[in-house]
Amino acid sequence: MSARRWTARARGLRGAAAGLVALGLLATGCGGDGGSSSGGKVTIRYAWWGAKDRSVMIKKTVKLFEKKHPNITVKTDFAEYADFWSKFNTQAAGGNAPDVFQNSYAFLRKYGEKNLLLDLNKQVKEGNLNLKGFRNGLEKSGDIDGKLYGVPVGANTFGFFYNPAAFKKAGVTVKDGWTWDDFFAAAKKVRKSDGTLYGSSDNAGVMYLYDLYLRQHGKAFFTEDKKLGFTKDDLKQWWNTWQQHSKAGELVPGKKTEQAKPKATISANLSAAEFTWDNFLVRFAAETDTPLELGPLPTTDGKKTAQYLSSLMLSGSARTQHPKEVAQLIDFMTHDPEVGKIMGYNRGIPATTAQYEAYKPSGVDAKIAAYEKSVAGKLEPITPHPAGTDVAEAAFLRTYTDVTVGQSSVDKAVDQFFDEAESALGS
Amino acid sequence: MTRTTTRAAERSAAPPRPETRKGAAPDAPGAAAGRRSGRRETLAGYLFLTPWCIGILLLTLGPMLVSLYLAFTDYTLFDSPRWVGFKNFQEMFEDDRWWTSVEVTLKYVLIGTPLKLLAALGVALLLVKPRKGQGFYRSAFYAPSLIGASVSIGIVWRAIFNDDAIVDKSMSLFGWDVGGWIGDPDWALPTLITLTVWQFGAPMVIFLAGLKQVPRELYEAAEMDGAGAWRRFRSITLPMISPVLFFNLLLELIHSFQVFTSAVVLAGSGTNTGGPGDSLLVYGWYLYEQGFRNLRMGYAAAMAWMLMLGIGLVTAVLFKTQRGWVHYEEDAR
Amino acid sequence: MTTPSTSLTSSKSLTSSGRARIRSVVWHLGALAVLAVILYPVVWVIGGSFKPGDKIIGSLQLLPTDPITENYRRLGDGIADVPVTTFFTNSLFLAVGSVIGVLFSCSLAAYAFARIRFAGRNVLFTLMISTLLLPFQILIIPQYILFQKMELINTYVPLLLGKYLAADAFFVFLMVQFMRGLPRELDEAARLDGCGHLRIYWNIVLPLCRPALITSAIFTFIWSWNDFIGPLLYLNEPDKYTVSMGLKLFIDQDSVADYGGMVAMSLVALLPVLLFFLAFQRYLVEGASTSGLKG
Repeated sequence: MSARRWTARARGLRGAAAGLVALGLLATGCGGDGGSSSGGKVTIRYAWWGAKDRSVMIKKTVKLFEKKHPNITVKTDFAEYADFWSKFNTQAAGGNAPDVFQNSYAFLRKYGEKNLLLDLNKQVKEGNLNLKGFRNGLEKSGDIDGKLYGVPVGANTFGFFYNPAAFKKAGVTVKDGWTWDDFFAAAKKVRKSDGTLYGSSDNAGVMYLYDLYLRQHGKAFFTEDKKLGFTKDDLKQWWNTWQQHSKAGELVPGKKTEQAKPKATISANLSAAEFTWDNFLVRFAAETDTPLELGPLPTTDGKKTAQYLSSLMLSGSARTQHPKEVAQLIDFMTHDPEVGKIMGYNRGIPATTAQYEAYKPSGVDAKIAAYEKSVAGKLEPITPHPAGTDVAEAAFLRTYTDVTVGQSSVDKAVDQFFDEAESALGS
Repeated sequence: MTRTTTRAAERSAAPPRPETRKGAAPDAPGAAAGRRSGRRETLAGYLFLTPWCIGILLLTLGPMLVSLYLAFTDYTLFDSPRWVGFKNFQEMFEDDRWWTSVEVTLKYVLIGTPLKLLAALGVALLLVKPRKGQGFYRSAFYAPSLIGASVSIGIVWRAIFNDDAIVDKSMSLFGWDVGGWIGDPDWALPTLITLTVWQFGAPMVIFLAGLKQVPRELYEAAEMDGAGAWRRFRSITLPMISPVLFFNLLLELIHSFQVFTSAVVLAGSGTNTGGPGDSLLVYGWYLYEQGFRNLRMGYAAAMAWMLMLGIGLVTAVLFKTQRGWVHYEEDAR
Repeated sequence: MTTPSTSLTSSKSLTSSGRARIRSVVWHLGALAVLAVILYPVVWVIGGSFKPGDKIIGSLQLLPTDPITENYRRLGDGIADVPVTTFFTNSLFLAVGSVIGVLFSCSLAAYAFARIRFAGRNVLFTLMISTLLLPFQILIIPQYILFQKMELINTYVPLLLGKYLAADAFFVFLMVQFMRGLPRELDEAARLDGCGHLRIYWNIVLPLCRPALITSAIFTFIWSWNDFIGPLLYLNEPDKYTVSMGLKLFIDQDSVADYGGMVAMSLVALLPVLLFFLAFQRYLVEGASTSGLKG
C-alpha cells in the first residue's frame, strides 16, 4: 500500500530535489537590543549551574536581594553543569548572556578573551562593589591581567576523602606529610582487609589532582604561556603508576566507575578513598550512610601538598545594560551575612569574612571547616588556567577512562590527550 | 476504525492512480475540472500550499543551503563564518573520535535494525491469526514504541542493566556474568540496541497490515501441495510482504542513523557523554557536542552533510537492490 | 477489534476442539510471557517510584517492601521554586499547540496535493516526500542560527513554528494518502453545485478525514511530549522547561542527586502518554499500520 506508492515517488526524486535546492531562501533577522528597564525598574538575569538543592538556596537569597533593592527584579535560570555551559555559549554568542552568572576560575580567561566578561573594576571604583573583607586574598583570583572578571563567592581546596572504618580495620592511619607511596600502600592494605571495598577510586584522570602532583614537582598542568606544563613521559609515568595499582585490583576498575555514575565510587560504597574538592563531602554525605572523613593530601617530599584555593565566582556579562545593578547583586551575594547563612558551604567556604562568620557550620560542614583550617598554612597561589582549560579537563578524564575500561593503552591515550589538548589550547 | 482498514486494503489493491503519472494531461473524470482554467487551479493549489511553501523554504531548503555553506567554514557563532574550503572534511578523516562515532553508529544501525525487524516480524506472525484478546496484545506490544524515545525510559534502562539488577542477575543464571552493562565498553552499545529492539511495535503493526493482505488461497493451495510451514513462509509470506519489509527497513535505517536521546540518557549526564570509552558516542551526539558544546558550527555542519551523504548512500543502495528481492504486484503483470 | 471466533481462520486444519484449546492456551501463555518481558521496565518505574532514593538502583526487588510516598511528596515541592506542574503545563501547552498547528497546516497542504491539479504539483510532492529522508541534524544548526538572529531563543516559537508550516512531511503524507482514498464523486458533485476548493475542503473533505486527523493529532501530541532535543536547544529558563528537560534538573555534577524524585517524575512523565495511548490505542495502531508512521 503506502510502501509501494512511496517508493514510486521516491524514485523520481533525486533530480527534482537537486534542482529545487537552488530555490533556497536565506532568512536573516535583525538584532535589537534587549534592554529591559522601564519606569526606573530594572530586570537582570542571574544564572548558575546546580541541581535542586543549590537552586532552592539561591532563590532564597535572590528574594532577600529583591527586598533590599525594590527597584531591581532578578530573573533566574539554572541548568546542569554541561548544559549550563552549552546554553551559556549559545546565548553569549547571540549577545544575550545572563547579566550575572556563576563562573569558575577555569573559565575566566576563556571568556575574558572573547570579551564576554564585564570588567568590574569600574564598579569597584564607583562604590557599587566592595572588594574588602575577602579571606586569604581571594578577591585577587578574579583579576586577570588587570581586569576584574569575577568575584569569588566561595572557595575550596582539594581533599583526600576516606572511609575511616575501613582504614582502621586495615590498620592504616592518614597523617600529615604522608607520601604517594604511603597512599598506594594504604589502598593495598584496605583492599586486602576488606573484600567488598576497593582501596581507592581511580582518580588519575582528574586534571586537578594531576595538577597538584605536578606542582609538588615544581611544575603545573598549564604554563604561563598557555601550554601544557608537562611532557608525554611525565603523564605516562603518572598514569602507568595508577594503572599498575589498578591491575593489582587495589583501585576501582573503570567499568564499575562508569556504572556508578553519576555517583562517585566512594559514595557508591565501592571504594574507601577518593580525591576531589572538599565541598563534595556535602554531596557524599547525602548519597551514602557510610561516614567519611577528610584527610591531608599525599605529598612527594613529605611536606608540600601544593594545594591552593579555587573559587566559584560570580561574573557579569560585558553586554549587560545594567552594570551598576549587576555589581550590586554580586556585592550582595558575596558580602551579605544572611546570604552566607542560607548558602552555607554549598559553593565552597564563603569567600568573605562576613559570610564566613555568619554561618556556624555543623555536621558535615563542620568537617569541611576543620579541614580547611588544618590546611590553611599550606595554601599556595593558584596557577593560571588558559582558555581551553575546560576542553583539556574533559579530554584528560575521557582519554584516561578509555584506558581504565580497556579501550586504549596508556601510550595511545597520552598521544590522544596531547592532540586534543594542544588543539584546544592553541585556538 | 474498521473503515480505515478496509480503505487501506482497497487502496493497496488499486493500481497506481492516474495523477502519479508524470506529465499526465489534465484528464477529465469530471467535466467540471475540465472547464476550470488551469491557472485558477494553480492559484488555488498554491494558496492551500502557502504554509507548507513558507515552511519548506524557511525551515528546510534555506537551512540546508546555509549548512552546506557552513560546512566549508570555521564558525563559532561569535564571529562571522570564515571560509576554509575542505578543511573540516579533511579534519574529520583525521579525527579519531569522528571515526569512533561512525563505527558506533554503524554498529547500532546494522545490528539494531535487523534485530528489531526480526522481532517485529516474529511477533506479527504470532498475532496475525485472529484470536481472543488480539487487540489487547497488539496494543500492549505497540506501547514501548511510544515511550521508548523518552528521557524517562532512558533512565529506567540504565537502571535495569545495572550491576546486580534484573538483566545481570538473569544472565548469571545462565553462567554469563557481564556485571553492569552500562559501565562496560563492550556491553554499553548492546544495551542501547536492546532499547531499540524493545520498540519493535511500530514496524510490527505495519507487518501485521501487510500479512493480513496475503491472499489466503495461496496458503491453501500450497498446503494441498504439501508444503510445510517453513516452505510456505519462504515462498509465499516473504515475497508477498517484501514491499512492507522494504518500507520498514528504509524507515528504520533512516530513523536509527539519527539516534540521539536514548544514547544521551543512557550514557548519563556530565561532560563526557560518550559512555565508557566512547562506546555510546553516536554520530548525532558527537555532532551536537562539536556544534553546541564546543561551538564548532562549521565542523558540525560538515558532519551533518556527511551523515546526509551516508543516509543517501544507504537509501540508494536499498533502492538499487530492491529489484532483486522486493516483489510488487504490478511487476508481475 | 477482537474477532471472537477462532474457528473462522483455518477451517481446513480444524481437528478436535480439545487440541485447539490446548494450542490456544499455549499461545496465550507464550504471548503473556513475551509481554511480561516487554512491560517489565514500566513495572520497574512504578515500583521504583515508591522506594527510597538509595534503594532504587542496584536492587533486584521489583516492588518495594515498604512502599513510601516520600518521592511524590517531594515532587510536590517542585524543583527550586518551579512547581513540577509548571513543566507539565508547558509540555501540555506545546503538545496542544503542536496538534492544532499540524492539523491545520498539514491538512491544507494535503488537500492541495490530493485534490487540486496545479502546475508543479508532482515536483513539489516529490520534494515533500524527500524531506522524509532528511536527517534532522542537517537542519538544527542553521535553524538555531535563524531563530537566534530573530531573537526567538528561549521562546516556544522555534518549537511550534514548524508545526504551523506543515514541516512534518509524515502527516502531510498520511493525510494525502487518506484523502486520495475518498471517493472523487463527492467533490465533483459539490463543484457542480458551485462550491470552491475552500468549501469542499472544509465541508466535505475534512469531516471525512477524521480518522487520519485523529491519528495525526495523537502522534503529534506524543512526539511533542517526548521531544528532548528541541527544548534542550531552545529553552533556557526552568520556568519554560518541558517535562523531559525538568527530568534533567535532578542531577548535577556538584549537587546532591535526587534519584527518588527523578524516578517518581519519570513515571508521572510517562503517565499522560500511556493514558492517551489507552484511550486512543485503536486509532494509533490502525493509523500506524496504514501510514507507516513511527512511534
